[in-house]
Amino acid sequence: MSELDIGHWERITNDLVTLKNTSEMMMDLAYSAVLLNSRYLADEVMLLEEQIDELYIGFQYEVLSKTKTATDPRDLLGLIRLGSVTERIADAASEIAEVVLRGIEPHPVLQMVIQDAEETVERAKVGEDSPLAGKTLRQAKIAEETGMWVLVIRRGDKWIRPRPNTTLKPGDVIIASGYSEGEEDFVQLLTGKSSSEN
Amino acid sequence: MNKVRKTEYRAVPVRETLIQMKDISELMLDLAYSAALFDNKELAEEVMELETKIDDLVYLLNMNLMLAARDREDAETMAGISKIGSLTNAISDAAADVAGIVLNDIGIHPVVREVFQRAEEHLARMVISENSILIGKTVEDLDLASEVGIDIIAIRRGKYWHINPDKEILMPGDSIVARGTGSGLHKLIQAANAEVKDFE
Repeated sequence: MSELDIGHWERITNDLVTLKNTSEMMMDLAYSAVLLNSRYLADEVMLLEEQIDELYIGFQYEVLSKTKTATDPRDLLGLIRLGSVTERIADAASEIAEVVLRGIEPHPVLQMVIQDAEETVERAKVGEDSPLAGKTLRQAKIAEETGMWVLVIRRGDKWIRPRPNTTLKPGDVIIASGYSEGEEDFVQLLTGKSSSEN
Repeated sequence: MNKVRKTEYRAVPVRETLIQMKDISELMLDLAYSAALFDNKELAEEVMELETKIDDLVYLLNMNLMLAARDREDAETMAGISKIGSLTNAISDAAADVAGIVLNDIGIHPVVREVFQRAEEHLARMVISENSILIGKTVEDLDLASEVGIDIIAIRRGKYWHINPDKEILMPGDSIVARGTGSGLHKLIQAANAEVKDFE
């Protein structure tokens, strides 16, 4: 394989990795948007949809331009199919988000029981002085401390799915769901300040 | 050809049914990707089997939604929920298409293996050896999701696959497919190979 060729496969691999990760994250966020009836999460899914469409076109170009070299077309067909699957999942996720954006009235059939406390989606930025900066999610014990469950982490223009060994960095925006009582603790823990100082 | 049969009405809770459909379609995707990665037709067939289950659930969901609608406002809500059901079905169809790559012998380019190695979610297959600490424990007991960030998505024992196991007790010779972080899977593989006495 020539060096040029290796670069080409590298791009195809990278694109497919991103397509797969993004589509799965969109699916997670779209269902969370439904179950929490959160427009904010639905909007995040729509933003990801814009990214993935562009990426998918790029991926298809890369794969199709491989037909110029001696590659078994059946192999390329498998790649195109895998790419198309991620794109269809992303589409379905964004349509689910669209249902939320149109407005779902809380209905008994969804058992969105609003008891004493209401479940909400909250976001906060990891501050420079936060005790969480540099810690992994497992060490951060956000759920134990605040009752808020981390849904996704935004780092610059990237979305990261929470995993026990994901390391938090200052500037990360953590999006979490939970009951409203936990919100204040959550913001305080992340920013490293008490809310009165904000 | 799969036998298509009528879905009989029964009362099901809408929220739980939606969550169940979401879980099954996610599982189908994991299994389908595993089938592609390990070029395994049996796993691909399991995906097709689960697809018929989703089809049934979509019918049930819609029947329950129809009976729950009493007025215009209800109808507005139900239409949205029904749409979400169909979209979940679309996701499961996408998973079935990945399984189709394997079942129809469309090539899996070596680059695909590389893709799965680099993706956030890794997949691994392993066999539980004689002295493994996993033996005698249920998948639920191991609580791998919170311990090491992985899920066991399927167990093959003899000819049979147990999909999405929780109460199954692990036995020597079981072949398992797991999904999760690379480091977590590495720990599980060591445990399956009886190379470690505990998880940390």
